[in-house]
Amino acid sequence: MSLGELGQIFVNAVLLSGILALVALGFSLVWGIMNIVNLAHGAFIVLGAYITFFLHELLHVDPFLSIPLAMLVLFTLGWGIQRGLINQVIKAPLLATFLLTFGLELLIVNLINFFFKADLRSVTTPYSGTGFTLGSVRIPYIRLGALGVSLVLVAGLAWYLKSTRTGRAIRATGMDLDAARLTGVKVAAVYASTFAIGAGMAGAAGSLLSMIVPFDPNLGGTYTQRAFAICVLGGLGNVANVVIGAAIYAFVDVFVGARLPSLSRAVTFAILVILLILRPQGIAGKSA
Amino acid sequence: MKRTATVSLLALALALGALPAAAADTIVFGAAVSLTGKTAKEGEYTRDGYNFFVDKINEMGGITVGGKKYRVEVKYYDDESKSERTAQLIEKLINEDKVTFILGPYGSAPSGTAAPICEKYKIPMIEANGSAESIFNKGYKYTFAVLSPAKLYLKGLVDLVIARDKTAKTVAVLGENEPFSKEVASGGADYAKEKGLTVVYQELYPTGTQDVSALLTNIKAKNPDIVLGAGHLQDALLIVKQAKDLGVSPKAMGFSVGPSSPEFRENLKGNADYIYGATQWTEALKYNGDDPWKTPKAYGDAFRAKNPKYTVIPYQVAESSAAVIAFWRAIEKANSLDPTKVRDAIAALDIMTFYGQIKFDSRGINIYKPMAIEQLQPDGKKYTVFPANVAEKEALYPMVPWDKRK
Repeated sequence: MSLGELGQIFVNAVLLSGILALVALGFSLVWGIMNIVNLAHGAFIVLGAYITFFLHELLHVDPFLSIPLAMLVLFTLGWGIQRGLINQVIKAPLLATFLLTFGLELLIVNLINFFFKADLRSVTTPYSGTGFTLGSVRIPYIRLGALGVSLVLVAGLAWYLKSTRTGRAIRATGMDLDAARLTGVKVAAVYASTFAIGAGMAGAAGSLLSMIVPFDPNLGGTYTQRAFAICVLGGLGNVANVVIGAAIYAFVDVFVGARLPSLSRAVTFAILVILLILRPQGIAGKSA
Repeated sequence: MKRTATVSLLALALALGALPAAAADTIVFGAAVSLTGKTAKEGEYTRDGYNFFVDKINEMGGITVGGKKYRVEVKYYDDESKSERTAQLIEKLINEDKVTFILGPYGSAPSGTAAPICEKYKIPMIEANGSAESIFNKGYKYTFAVLSPAKLYLKGLVDLVIARDKTAKTVAVLGENEPFSKEVASGGADYAKEKGLTVVYQELYPTGTQDVSALLTNIKAKNPDIVLGAGHLQDALLIVKQAKDLGVSPKAMGFSVGPSSPEFRENLKGNADYIYGATQWTEALKYNGDDPWKTPKAYGDAFRAKNPKYTVIPYQVAESSAAVIAFWRAIEKANSLDPTKVRDAIAALDIMTFYGQIKFDSRGINIYKPMAIEQLQPDGKKYTVFPANVAEKEALYPMVPWDKRK
């Protein structure tokens, strides 16, 4: 492997890490704070992709500019779902929320299928595929932009959770539900905000993915799977853990893919299994 | 008043006449196709192709067996693009719905799981969308495919490049890790070697991959003249997108599946230019068949008239119609609805259709029909460029490198 090739593979992995971090960010937040494994996360991502796609196709809105709108729509939807549905079963055993989010994912995916058909779509702009070259390493603008957006959102969420009142309430609820309640935190509202933020992040991830991969209504499942793997790899409880998990996932996927592409998924998940045995709390997670 | 009365009387007469006929004199075909999941689109093409010819048979009065006309119906299930589901549904079609003829699912993997079920119950299946030879090397007697086998898919593109460019020497092949695409990939690579080219890269990627940058980085370093992709539409789109991202610019880039469907250009816009696609069939081919349409063009026009949402007719539609034609001709020839007798008639079939010749080798696959190659050109259209005797237009070769395009 030449040095240039190695550099390119490294850059590919870094660019992929950013997008995957954003894919897993909302999923990790919802899981960490509310102990809900949101199986509808991928469906939210797909919704974000469709919002960006239609804004670009029908109104010629630049895909990067449609990200805030996709986030807002998904945020609102997430809020509604948490308030109207999930809060009703939040005290029930884990299986109930599993079933509920699983049902939601089927519902959303089938509705999209019904309204928009199973056609594959991509957002293709005049600058799609263009980029610049550093030595022999090529860096496509869209992927770089996506990395930038991801970093801003990851950092933004970290700041929000650390420095704002609601953010601290969210973290407090995740740490100790009863103590949070005793200090006057309105748990139902905090849960709704958390789920809404998670959905909003999924919306942003969907917007970015619509420019990068061809998608159809069924794309979400594989991204829920990835988000899950990333959370397990990195561990829950901290925004930085998501970034670490995403980086491990991306580097393994890309580097194994460069030599043994047919085994890339098997190796990635084998690492996941080994890690679960050795460090069940994740690489960066604190042991209980 | 009088007019209304006549109309209602007529309607009543029709209804009375139609009811017993529908119950007794109908041949029901069973089909499990992917209407949701990864290959939902192709499944839809398959279903539309089946329905188009089934409707035509009914319009013409039905299938004649023993001097009696039978209407035709298809009982569909959705296999959700999961091949284990296909097997269950075929079993259900045979056992519960009591169908005696099966039209195949979409794809090689589901066709492969459907075949042993048909074998077990001795129910003939004609499939139109599974061309992996692994299905046909198991000695099944009841499974037939009207389409050309997988290993022939990319052969034409190799021939095309060799005919145009004596300096082309190297080939990179990347394929999806599933039975059909694996055979396409190795068939293409073997043929290239046979023709004296060097295969500098040959790898498989997992089904449903979301990133092929690693493979393309590797390929770029080897700087091949030809890049051959063997996968499905989503993969082909991803490969072209990322090839542009990474500046992979071979002289020719072609795919087994993808470029023939209209979504290829819709997704890639101008980036689809110069890309080649293998195809089982195009409307530009000059066949003259013995069926209600005879020529590909006439078939295409008739199909569009009935299904206005199609502007271009994907080959999956045509081959699916061809599977129904094969059943129709075989049942009439057998002059019986007995599954075993119909099976023998299918095995002996040799007909020319708008889709090309339909004839099965001893394994049940149609090796007699050649594959064609299409190219998407910068005028926004797609042309059949190979084989030369049926080509509409000359291929634009070599592909203009990504950074030299406006």
